[in-house]
Amino acid sequence: MAAPSFRWLWFDGEHLSLDPEARGRRFGADPRPFEVEPVRGAWAHVCAVPDDESARIPYDQPEIQLARADALAWWIPLLGDSLVCLTTLSLDSVHYGGAITVARDPDRFRADPFARLFPGRVVRTDLFGEVPPPPGPVLERYAGAPWPAGTFGG
Amino acid sequence: MISGEAITLELGQPFPDLDLPDHTGRPRLLSEVAGGDPVALVFFRGFWCPKEQRYMRALVGTQEEFEVAYARLVAVSVDSPEVQSAFRAGLGARFVFLSDAERRWLEPLGLLEAEDTVHQPYRPTVLTLFPDLTVHAVYRGDWFWGRATMEELRQDMRAITHAVREG
Repeated sequence: MAAPSFRWLWFDGEHLSLDPEARGRRFGADPRPFEVEPVRGAWAHVCAVPDDESARIPYDQPEIQLARADALAWWIPLLGDSLVCLTTLSLDSVHYGGAITVARDPDRFRADPFARLFPGRVVRTDLFGEVPPPPGPVLERYAGAPWPAGTFGG
Repeated sequence: MISGEAITLELGQPFPDLDLPDHTGRPRLLSEVAGGDPVALVFFRGFWCPKEQRYMRALVGTQEEFEVAYARLVAVSVDSPEVQSAFRAGLGARFVFLSDAERRWLEPLGLLEAEDTVHQPYRPTVLTLFPDLTVHAVYRGDWFWGRATMEELRQDMRAITHAVREG
């Protein structure tokens, strides 16, 4: 059986949680950062609206493709060694609800290309482990998974 | 990991899982970068070569097709990660560059351009690979014209994709 291509995550505007009992809006995230040792005391830039279910965009809209392309072109290199991981957030198989960039320091978050789509909030987090950033150039999603999660590989 | 056995770049043969830092300096494996997708693997001399500058601009012109087609572009040179990062940014590339500044894979792959004793670069070579890194095609890039044209890359990606994807 294939591993699930997302993990549910809850965000209430101040805290991120993997607890289904947590308050806030539910998003699907790349599962890989939760499968490795978490980076303690990291900073997450959460570009999502926590209290408005209408804040959603079809994943294949051009502005989301452009944000993903910008992430590959300069956002990931700009963060350098500070980057812990990056995931977009899905609401279902077709809707984008935001993105999270996790880093060891928050200094460059103001440049986050995903903040063009939904405003960013900075929160401390111990949830995310380090995973290699997407190598590019693929920015299509795999079977509805939140980019860059998923693969066609066996 | 480099084994002591000679590597042959021939159709149907497995290509080694290169372990090299990317343009940000992070250690990478070619299999990880491939991510289960077809790959166009481009060995180029370096940022300084006008032929490579021209060829890389052509690759950047096709990256939008790779972006939407579940296929990977990977470029390898002896430039340092810092130099590759600057070259990549200048080109507007969004695919990964792998740095073999230590020249660990040059000789095992038989791709040392021995005539250039100053840079000791890779001989320009393009391979197209199946997702499991089996060699689909090899293009020897001497005299510029030997490199894979963008149309040949499209044809190879089409053939590999038809072979490995359903539908």
